[in-house]
Amino acid sequence: MSQATATRTLTFSQAIREALREEMERDDRVFVWGEDVAVYGGIYGATAGLLEQFGPGRVIDTPISETMIVGAAVGAAITGLRPVAELQSSGYFGIAMDEIYHKAARWRYMHGGVFTVPLVIRLPEGAKGAGPEHDVSPEALFLSASGAYVVIPSDPADALGLMKSSIRDDNPVLFFEHAGLYAHRGEVPAGDHLVPLGEAAVKREGSDVTVIAWSRMVGESLRAAAQLEAEGIDVEVVDPRGLRPLDLDTILESVAKTGRVVIAHEAPKTGGAGGEVAAIIAEEALEYLESPIIRVASADVPIPQSRYLQQFLIPTAASVTEAVRRLD
Amino acid sequence: MTAITPATLLELYESMVTMKLWDQTALRLLQEGRVLAGYHSGRGQEAIPAGGVAPLRRDDYLMYAHRGFGYTIAKGMSLAAMFGDLMANTAGATGGLGAGIPHFADPELGILGQGGTLGSCFGIATGAAFSARYRGTDQVVVCFFGDGTANRGAFHESVNAAAAWKLPVVWICENNGYAVSVPAADSTAGRIVDRAAGYGMPGVRINGMDVTEVYRATCEAVDRARAGEGPTLIEAMCHRFRGHYEGDPQVYRTEEETERLLALDPITNLAARLVADGIATEEGLDELEARVQDTIDRAVEEASSAPMPGPERLFEGLYV
Repeated sequence: MSQATATRTLTFSQAIREALREEMERDDRVFVWGEDVAVYGGIYGATAGLLEQFGPGRVIDTPISETMIVGAAVGAAITGLRPVAELQSSGYFGIAMDEIYHKAARWRYMHGGVFTVPLVIRLPEGAKGAGPEHDVSPEALFLSASGAYVVIPSDPADALGLMKSSIRDDNPVLFFEHAGLYAHRGEVPAGDHLVPLGEAAVKREGSDVTVIAWSRMVGESLRAAAQLEAEGIDVEVVDPRGLRPLDLDTILESVAKTGRVVIAHEAPKTGGAGGEVAAIIAEEALEYLESPIIRVASADVPIPQSRYLQQFLIPTAASVTEAVRRLD
Repeated sequence: MTAITPATLLELYESMVTMKLWDQTALRLLQEGRVLAGYHSGRGQEAIPAGGVAPLRRDDYLMYAHRGFGYTIAKGMSLAAMFGDLMANTAGATGGLGAGIPHFADPELGILGQGGTLGSCFGIATGAAFSARYRGTDQVVVCFFGDGTANRGAFHESVNAAAAWKLPVVWICENNGYAVSVPAADSTAGRIVDRAAGYGMPGVRINGMDVTEVYRATCEAVDRARAGEGPTLIEAMCHRFRGHYEGDPQVYRTEEETERLLALDPITNLAARLVADGIATEEGLDELEARVQDTIDRAVEEASSAPMPGPERLFEGLYV
């Protein structure tokens, strides 16, 4: 084993923290701010220890003011800094929507390209028993926010590599982190591990069915694939690792190979990004399809706080397995 | 109190005259159908952008409001580029994306742009001020906004953070008494300047029709910000002479009211004072006006010769 392929074991949360730490060491312009990110270290621990290493000038507790957190981060980004702004929950998107949608995404374009907006907005998402406002996965809302990238890691290695690339990118990045993944452990390559934005990962190769999944549903889909293998169904799991830039080549290549598609995400089916991906496949690769596309998603209801009820709503490996079995 | 030299008074006068003639020219272009979108005239409110921008250094930051183009004129933005944006052609600072509502910017001049969703200026100003301090500079941010915009929730979040962190911002509220059509008395509780006390920062209410008052108050606030002593709120009471936008029927106020306002014209009043104090002659001021008009005419000519953008412009500059 060469040193380049050596790995370390990190949780998803530690991977985010390592990415922040490495990029803050590399570039003085990078700073972190948000609610409870400094002394407390972030409610998911993703910024723990950064205050001690970098001091209160670069690791900043903000007021509970999401509009300001994002708006002022845009102001800092267009004047030479590289902010990493945390919204404590992606459910707060509405409080900062103008700042995300019209400011972060459009300030550069609207002003004729004279600025860059090198900004990362961290958005913890997903079901965790905190109720209909906090447990959302709102990434599809930003499909129409051209100008902003939408990046979504599904494991610690990608969390680290995508975060580092997002911080180095000169475009604004909405970085979604599923709260249910923070404690997951995984092998992360040692050294300066960068994952390019807009490059899908084939997380498992297969020849019979393509499951396109992101965020927590990647792990669920891999478990489903292992189970289906025993039944003689060979599943390919493609993780786009985000919605923009979208790696169409990898998706369409897989569809052309298998001819069967399941799209799995935790957001509700209606208005979820699965609809957009399905439409693209219908436009670009209909001739390869041997069966209708199936979407695995939450039902179109608010997410209850009760974890007991959540088990009937939130898609799992079993949901994917069931969908694959329904394909022709 | 800051003494204002005769030379500074003349500069402020020329700045306001440029804004007035720019506005007249923009209105003419609008009538000729050469402006592709609505325009919010700044006539009557020239003292605030003139007196509020003059104390700034070239590298200080400006968040301007949408009323008139006076702020960016005062900060040194290319007149031809601004006319190009009005005409939506490639001479514009936005290269053909702009039109009547200004969205031009010039990072070299500290001009950070304008958000059409009013109130979004507050967060960006706070962030630019944070950035100035983070980078160890003594740059200052001046953020202009109207009394209507002051009622956006973003005001509280951003003004609170800037005050809590003692950031170098000067908040200048232009209170012209109307939020589009709604009188301030029907929409704004208390006096805007009194909000300053709630954030533990100095606040001052001034006559925004007098450029010397605006200049003095802004100089003091800029000095305080540059010295690391935090933000200031200036409420400049003023009047807009025309409608909220061109074509506004102004059903919310009487013709008598708008006619009475003309006696408060900050430009003619300063002209009278300059002549009375022996700083200038009427002939001299006429010459100044002719010279400024000539500069503006040449800028219009330069802007007019530029082509319209092609459809490819739509796809340029969205991503880096």
